[in-house]
Amino acid sequence: MSDDKKQNHHEDDKDMIKLIDNLNRKDDVHLNRRAFLKASFGATVAIGLATTPFGIFTFLRDENGEVKRVEITDIEDLAVGESRNFNYPTKNEPAILVRTPEDKFVAYNNKCTHLQCPVFYEHKENVLLCPCHKGYFNVDSGQPMAGPPQRELPKILLEIKDGKVFAVGREVRHG
Amino acid sequence: MDKKRVAFFSIFLFLAVNVFSLSNAIEGYYGHEDERVYGGVIVALISTLLATTAFFIWRKAEYKK
Repeated sequence: MSDDKKQNHHEDDKDMIKLIDNLNRKDDVHLNRRAFLKASFGATVAIGLATTPFGIFTFLRDENGEVKRVEITDIEDLAVGESRNFNYPTKNEPAILVRTPEDKFVAYNNKCTHLQCPVFYEHKENVLLCPCHKGYFNVDSGQPMAGPPQRELPKILLEIKDGKVFAVGREVRHG
Repeated sequence: MDKKRVAFFSIFLFLAVNVFSLSNAIEGYYGHEDERVYGGVIVALISTLLATTAFFIWRKAEYKK
């Protein structure tokens, strides 16, 4: 081995010693009872204050979000056991209106709560089906029945007046 | 139990309350449940205020000569 290489090896060893020297046991003393309590207090304040943006954004959302009343369809245009797609409350939020075999109107936002694939109405089984990963939702409640989805579909509140079906509101969590 | 010890342990209680409130506020926000969000925020702010009071009580007792 040449002298240069020997010297390099020697310097490497020195570096390793430096690394070990960094582990100063006296530093452990810095995390004592007082410091622990102060850190915990800091975390309490930080977590407590972290809730405020959610309150502010909810307040701002309420001011902008007036309840919309949107006509979906005529009752006569939708036979029993059929479904129709529409958008509610905005154009970017697809929804599905179903006239169930019990002649009841129900509507949900039809983005699957698993990975946002579109959900379809399966007339034969009377369920809402997400074909991407075989997620099944109860058509009467919008609650997940089988497959990966864990949360219910947002429910569109309906009003039937003068032979027409209107969307009048939405409940994201329900049941 | 003396005042200092109560103040010491109450900070951890308020920490737990705040974690719970934050999780409620987040769930309420994404679930469009406004009352749940406001409830979480109010509880968290009161809890933070009480934690601050407890911290100052503890600090006064801890550093007393």
